[in-house]
Amino acid sequence: MELLTALTVGLLFAIGTFQMLRRNIIRSAVGLIILGNAINLFLLSTGAYNGIAAAYTTTVGQRSDALPQALILTAIVIGMGGTAFVMAMLYIISARYETADMDEVQGLKN
Amino acid sequence: MNFFEDNLALLPIAIPLIGAMLTLLLGEWRRVRAIVAVSMMFISLGISCFLLIQVMRTGGPVVFQAGGWAFPYGITLIGDPLSALFTVMTQLVMAAGLIYALGSVDYIVRYRPFFPLFLLMVAGLTGTFLTGDLFNMYVFTELLVLAGAALTASSDDRFGTEAAYKYYYMSLLASTFMLLSIGSLYVSYGTLNMADLATRIAAQPDGILLAPAIGLLLATFMIKSAVFPFHFWQPDFHAAAPTAVSAMLSSVVVKVGVYGFLRMTTLLFVAQAPLIRTILLVLGVTGVIFGGLSAIGTHNVKRMLAYSTLAQVGFILVGIGWGTAPALAAAVVFSFNHSLIKAAMLMLAGYVASRAPVKSASFDIVKGVGHHLPAAGGLFLLGGMALIGMPPTSGFISKMLLFRSGIAAEGFVPLLIIGLASILTLVYVVRAFQTIWWEAPREAFNPKPSGDSLLAPMILIGLVLLLGLWAAPLVNAAVDVSHWLLAPDLYLRAVSGVGG
Repeated sequence: MELLTALTVGLLFAIGTFQMLRRNIIRSAVGLIILGNAINLFLLSTGAYNGIAAAYTTTVGQRSDALPQALILTAIVIGMGGTAFVMAMLYIISARYETADMDEVQGLKN
Repeated sequence: MNFFEDNLALLPIAIPLIGAMLTLLLGEWRRVRAIVAVSMMFISLGISCFLLIQVMRTGGPVVFQAGGWAFPYGITLIGDPLSALFTVMTQLVMAAGLIYALGSVDYIVRYRPFFPLFLLMVAGLTGTFLTGDLFNMYVFTELLVLAGAALTASSDDRFGTEAAYKYYYMSLLASTFMLLSIGSLYVSYGTLNMADLATRIAAQPDGILLAPAIGLLLATFMIKSAVFPFHFWQPDFHAAAPTAVSAMLSSVVVKVGVYGFLRMTTLLFVAQAPLIRTILLVLGVTGVIFGGLSAIGTHNVKRMLAYSTLAQVGFILVGIGWGTAPALAAAVVFSFNHSLIKAAMLMLAGYVASRAPVKSASFDIVKGVGHHLPAAGGLFLLGGMALIGMPPTSGFISKMLLFRSGIAAEGFVPLLIIGLASILTLVYVVRAFQTIWWEAPREAFNPKPSGDSLLAPMILIGLVLLLGLWAAPLVNAAVDVSHWLLAPDLYLRAVSGVGG
């Protein structure tokens, strides 16, 4: 399980970074979102292997660490808000320029 | 009164948040919304001033454990001398920004979400400075960045959305770095409370993921502060952001990184601080040169001021890089003064642009506009003098302290370079002044009869002059801050509640 999580995190990082470097602005935004999910998985793995029982229950056994889960929950909520905002802005930009190619979205360069 | 004193570290964050909710609920009544926003802002400013006075008088911090959870399990809010001073700086400049926004002719100010977003920005930035928990800091910076980007995206300028996208994309990237760093620290030390973390890092300086965590946290704060290799997003978006917002983002919001560096070198990573300081020194010197040269090469007043921020943050980083008590005090004074000066300068640039035939801060368009605006010319000249560092303005005080601390720290090479690079400031400020106020306009035109109000920059320039002529309170406070910073034990003791 540890190996599988590690490989998944690594793979998601690789895909996310590759997508971020694409020239299409929508693809690069998707890359950033994938990167965010890779990091959530990484945060989960920081506390995943320390216990077998859920926190705050009556089950006997080593309690698992609840803090990383709280962190991910917060990060997911913030990430969702950010994703929605990014998508809204991308919609406006790509509609205005009628393209999503980074080389053509150059309005700020005067 | 007891409630007030118990929650003193919470109130500067909570009041802008409450104000944001109220202004959101007050839908249609624009005037009432404005009154509520301004009064909340000033109540909050008053409380943060009280917090600063309290902290300076007792010499110890005001600690608030959220929800009554004992250290190290809960989230700590701590108003120590550094955070209290930065909070006052933030809320002072933000209050001026709100005054500017009220007198502004931009359409964005009439949008319903403007005041809520602005107050959320205040709450986010204040929270970033007052929190004692790394993950909490992440949440507050996210709040700050979202509010700032949303305000930029609704700018009058048609490139506002593009600028906001650029800003938000970079900030989101910085946030992912910060989360990675938080995860690395948590897996190595099992805590995120800054005081607890500092204790554990000092006790066991070879955590498996400590080095990546430091690197990622450095990168985060460098993006937030637009330090030299990560600065590229900043000038682009300043030209398009609404004046009231860009004046905030370029003056106080870039101080998030400065605050982070101060905390990193004096609290979290004391053992690794020499390396961090060297990096900051090199990047600071590079930023001073590069920012100055780029500012000379621009064709837009706001863009020029954005590059100037890059150079000025460079000066602050050099101060942090030297790391001695006087140098840290100089960096703190420099941060405070730069916030006031840069906010005032950007507001003046926005004021000139609002009177120009086409609303733009490009040199081609604002050339000669100043003939009709003598009052703004005087203020711009004073602000420019402060930026260069000439008496009787506060810029002189901050530069003098920085150079003197450099001589004491025997950092002669960086000192020589930043001394020479200061001349670049003179070049670009004088060029901007000459273009706008001396040269003849390209063709005869009638300036717009109404424009943004000059009240807010007037207040700020007044403060700049006051802090130049009567610098003792600020300098003494900064000296206290530097002594506080160099004794991290006091911070740990205050948060953990042992013996304090």
